[in-house]
Amino acid sequence: MPSTTVSYDLVPRILPYLDRLLIFALLEHLSEQKLYPADALLQAKYDVMKDTNMTDYVSETYKSIHGADATVPEEITERRRVVLEKLDEFEKKAEKALEIVRNPEVVNALRSDRAQNFSYVKDNYGVTTEMVNTLYHYGQFQYNCGKYAEAAELLYHFRTLSNDSELVISATWGKLAAEIMTLQWENAVAELVKLKELIDQKTFADPLVQLNHRTWLIHWALFFFFNAETGREKLADLFLSSAYLNAIQTSCPWVLRYVTVTVLTSRNARKTSAGRSSTYATYQKQIRELVRVIKQERYEYSDPVTEFVYALYIDFDFEAAQAKLAESADVVKTDPFLVGSADEFLESARHLVSELYCQIHQRIDIRDLSTRLNLSAEEGEKWIVNLIRDTRVDAKIDFSEGTVIMNHPPQSVYQQVIERTKGLSFRTNQVLAHMLTTRNATATVNGEEGGEAQE
Amino acid sequence: MSRFFAGGSSDSETSSSDEELYSESEEEKSEEELSEEESEEESTEEDESEAESSDEDHAGGFLKAGAKGSAARFLRGEESEESDEDESRRVVKSAKDKRLEEIDAIIRTIDNARKINDWVHISNEFDKLNKIIAKASQQGDTPKTYIKAIAELEDFMNETIKTEKDSKKKMNATNARALNSIKQRIKKNNRQYEDLIAKFRADPDGFVNEVDEILEPVAPVKLRKGADFEAAAAAIRPGVGANAEDTSDAAFSTIGRGGRTITITSESIFKQLRAILEARGKKNTDRAEQIRNMEKMLDVATTIYQKIRVLLVLVATRFDLTTSTASFMPVNQWKSAQEEVSKLLEILEQNPLYVVQEDAEEFDDDDEEEPTPKDGMTLKIFGSIISLVERLDDEFTRSLQNIDPHTPEYIDRLKEESVLYSTIIRSQVYFERVRLESSVSRVLVRRLELLYYKPELLILSVEKSTWSGLPKSLESAITPRSEDEDVDASRLINAICVKLYNQDNRLFRTRAMLCHVYHHALHNRYFHARDLLLMSHLQATIHTADISTQILYNRTLVQVGLCAFREGMISECQQALLEICGTGRVKELLAQGIQMQRYAQTSPEQEKIERQRQIPFHMHINLELLECVYLTSSMLLEMPFMAQSGSSPDAKKKAISKPFRRMLDYHERQVFTGPPENTRDHIMQASKALATGDWAKARELISAIKIWDLIPDTDKIKAMLGEKIQEEGLRTYLFTYGQFYETLSIVSLASMFDMSEGKATALVSKMISNNEVAAALDQKTNAVAFIPGVEYSRLQNLALALSDKAVQLIDSYKYR
Repeated sequence: MPSTTVSYDLVPRILPYLDRLLIFALLEHLSEQKLYPADALLQAKYDVMKDTNMTDYVSETYKSIHGADATVPEEITERRRVVLEKLDEFEKKAEKALEIVRNPEVVNALRSDRAQNFSYVKDNYGVTTEMVNTLYHYGQFQYNCGKYAEAAELLYHFRTLSNDSELVISATWGKLAAEIMTLQWENAVAELVKLKELIDQKTFADPLVQLNHRTWLIHWALFFFFNAETGREKLADLFLSSAYLNAIQTSCPWVLRYVTVTVLTSRNARKTSAGRSSTYATYQKQIRELVRVIKQERYEYSDPVTEFVYALYIDFDFEAAQAKLAESADVVKTDPFLVGSADEFLESARHLVSELYCQIHQRIDIRDLSTRLNLSAEEGEKWIVNLIRDTRVDAKIDFSEGTVIMNHPPQSVYQQVIERTKGLSFRTNQVLAHMLTTRNATATVNGEEGGEAQE
Repeated sequence: MSRFFAGGSSDSETSSSDEELYSESEEEKSEEELSEEESEEESTEEDESEAESSDEDHAGGFLKAGAKGSAARFLRGEESEESDEDESRRVVKSAKDKRLEEIDAIIRTIDNARKINDWVHISNEFDKLNKIIAKASQQGDTPKTYIKAIAELEDFMNETIKTEKDSKKKMNATNARALNSIKQRIKKNNRQYEDLIAKFRADPDGFVNEVDEILEPVAPVKLRKGADFEAAAAAIRPGVGANAEDTSDAAFSTIGRGGRTITITSESIFKQLRAILEARGKKNTDRAEQIRNMEKMLDVATTIYQKIRVLLVLVATRFDLTTSTASFMPVNQWKSAQEEVSKLLEILEQNPLYVVQEDAEEFDDDDEEEPTPKDGMTLKIFGSIISLVERLDDEFTRSLQNIDPHTPEYIDRLKEESVLYSTIIRSQVYFERVRLESSVSRVLVRRLELLYYKPELLILSVEKSTWSGLPKSLESAITPRSEDEDVDASRLINAICVKLYNQDNRLFRTRAMLCHVYHHALHNRYFHARDLLLMSHLQATIHTADISTQILYNRTLVQVGLCAFREGMISECQQALLEICGTGRVKELLAQGIQMQRYAQTSPEQEKIERQRQIPFHMHINLELLECVYLTSSMLLEMPFMAQSGSSPDAKKKAISKPFRRMLDYHERQVFTGPPENTRDHIMQASKALATGDWAKARELISAIKIWDLIPDTDKIKAMLGEKIQEEGLRTYLFTYGQFYETLSIVSLASMFDMSEGKATALVSKMISNNEVAAALDQKTNAVAFIPGVEYSRLQNLALALSDKAVQLIDSYKYR
């Protein structure tokens, strides 16, 4: 089994799109998994960290590779000195700016408008652009030193003041990374959304740059898998928005595995949130979208997880789906990002299978269904009872024959028409209101005559 | 032609642009006249009640004429072969005499036809005459009788038109049309012989008397005309009879017609070259003679500089020989031009200090001192090799367009592609060496367009033989010479395309992209091809591109569709082909022959332009195969769809493939259907069989189609089709007969369609899940249970449709 899981391992593909420190986090995670030899990972860690400012950690790692007695290379100690010097320098430089922005009076006065903020502090406290930029560089430096919380704060202050859109974007990247590293998921989700907006709004001279930005964002977003609850829904939205779906298709089809898991597991998250029927519809829609993409990209990328979806929704081959599900369980359990969601994924996958099964069958053999779900007959029965209760499908168990009888009432035509026309009157009013406002707007622009002419 | 001149030397540019202006204005005039004529003609047609019937006659006549034409061509082919034999056996005169006799005979028939005012006949004979004359004048003589005949014909024509105008509608429609068309042709034709005709008009008797004695290759009239034309040119004109070459290196003497001795020496070369350049583009220049002169000059040229200069002018002059756009350059001329370009490249290879490029200064030839490279600096000579190479390629294509593809001549010509290709590679190496970036991309486009439609093995063998024919020292950075066996043709194409993507010219990028897609599609890499095509976003902009690029786009699209078919992706194939095959103008869209349109009348000009766009025969995509693929994939999609929509009101409106529906309707309307004869019959009968669930018969019919043999791996394709037919047959069956069942066992369904139970279950599951049939599976009895009572009444159907429309309407509102 290890050989197959290594062959489905995506870490080498993902690494190029990550930040140095994010890679470090990933490597930490990998060393817990013991999928790779420990010394190789240690060496990799060392290589990754060599150029950061976390010199203490680097020398430690070096020692653990080469034995405790080994002398740390000259360059590292030299570097450590330089880093400390720089840190002092930055501290001095940024002192004044920090003092000002931490001033509660100032904090209260700041608004969302950056230009206004800047002119405010400039007029009242004599802050210059350079001082603001110092905040940025200091933040970057702190981040490289591994002091994420400080970095996040600095970058936050920088962002409220700076006008330089380029730097703001990169500060947002920095802040996102810092939030991820400090495991502040709520903040991280906010940053993710902000960054997405920034990337979408900005007009890039070269579309390739935009694509790269999106690709990075997609990969960074994978870290949300470390956290089970927050942001799953947002993540699904992000992945399935058309621009990002395109980015995935063009530059990183392997992310499809994560998209699949996100979409499938988002079902549970949705169940807890209010308004079940509408979210269930979006869930169905997302699944359809997912199936379409997986079908399209099958020649580029496939692994047991996507193959499971393919077998289920395109081939309708339940046996193959069952085999793939067993395989994908192994894959998911060894994937550094997904290991936390493995059980959830399996649960959702079973749900999908049984749902589809019920949809197309009239009478189901419980034993057969149980094997489809990799469950024993006993468990299977329990599962089905739960399913019937949870989803309120119209079904009954015939105990003597050991079957479930599904009742598929044909949807009445009246019901269909009602369903379709449900939102119409509301939307008509919406359109009417919109038309009226636009007409008034044009009327005021055109003056009295224009308005009359329109009537 | 214009592209060639755009890159050509400056003085030729001015003269040629003069010429172009002149000819353009002429054309405009004639077009105006034409439209006048047409309006007149229309009015007469309206008057005449039999106009329609005569039209039909005309159409019938066309068919007959076509058949006759091919037969005649065949006969003529034989005849010319015979005459060739004659030539080799006897003296040259006999062939010429024979031709003269032919000419006389035709002229006599024209005279006869003139008497009865039969313009259709005259038009035919005139065409025949011109063909013979064209052959004759390629050997250098234009018989006087011909001049006389055409002059008289012109007069007669003018007269007829005049009387015609006076005495309204006397002629019937066909005759009038013939008259109109011949009027255009005579005008154009006679322009070539303007001065001769003028001479004839001045002195009819004397002119004709001259006829018999003058059958020398070079007409003295021309000589005399030339004499007062350019003194310098006259000085070097060699005599006719005295081609005896002096073998001395430095100079040779020839004896002119007047008995004068003229010499070409290496010193006077530049002077003479200039004289030739000045005469270029003017009327009455005897280009054939100039070429002979220059060939001699090349022999006496001593320095490298001289050789390069002479070659540059010589090749350009050779291209000038064919001015009209309809005909093509004589093959022997093309060959010499090709050889000379190669020679030029060879000289440049051996003397790296000499560089020919477009932005070089021109040297003053009057200087005593001839320019030579000094101190290792390169000497830049004015000239454009890329335009020569491009012209060479253009002429090659044009000759292929004009030669009948079913003759050995065509194959012989096609064989010369390899020399052309080697010249192209050679020039590419040269451009890379002297870093002429724009020329590199131009030559790469040419090279790519010679390669993209070839299968991998062919590309490899062409590459191999070409490189082995070139000197060892040549090497290209972009497309390196590959010695090892496991070379990849795709890599070569990729290298060329990537280079072209990274240059500035948008047209070249587009063409490179299309060629790349075509290449992928040809080698069954459907997804690569599709992704590349989609990424290029060409669909949005292609209609603004020039026509030849649009044709390339169409070809690419069709090839992608065929590729999808070979890979068994039926709906993708149908989608890709829909745009091209659904129009009924396949021939036109792919530029593979001119399509006769029933109602639109194309003017001769339009037809001529269209003819110039034609793709040479060896690059054609087989149209019958294309139609077969399109119809088969339409069948596989349409039959279940038709069965599904069944009786619903808008079943007719939503057709996947309109042409298929039309054909099926036509087929069904027939009272008696015999056994299938052609591809279409096979597919239509298979469709009917499929509709009744008789998949075995459908499969039999489809695999009986012979044209599948053109696809490599025929058996695989047939197996794939058989499988698809089974699947679609099952679906069609369920759609059609589902309502008559309460339950249907999977086992019997599977045996009915000869497939595994698992597969049948999967197919049924899919249909249930997509809400295509109202049914459910029963696991205990292993059967499909149909849910009754879901047939909607008409009112209910309409209510559903209405609600759908309302939702669509509200969705289409745009908030701004």
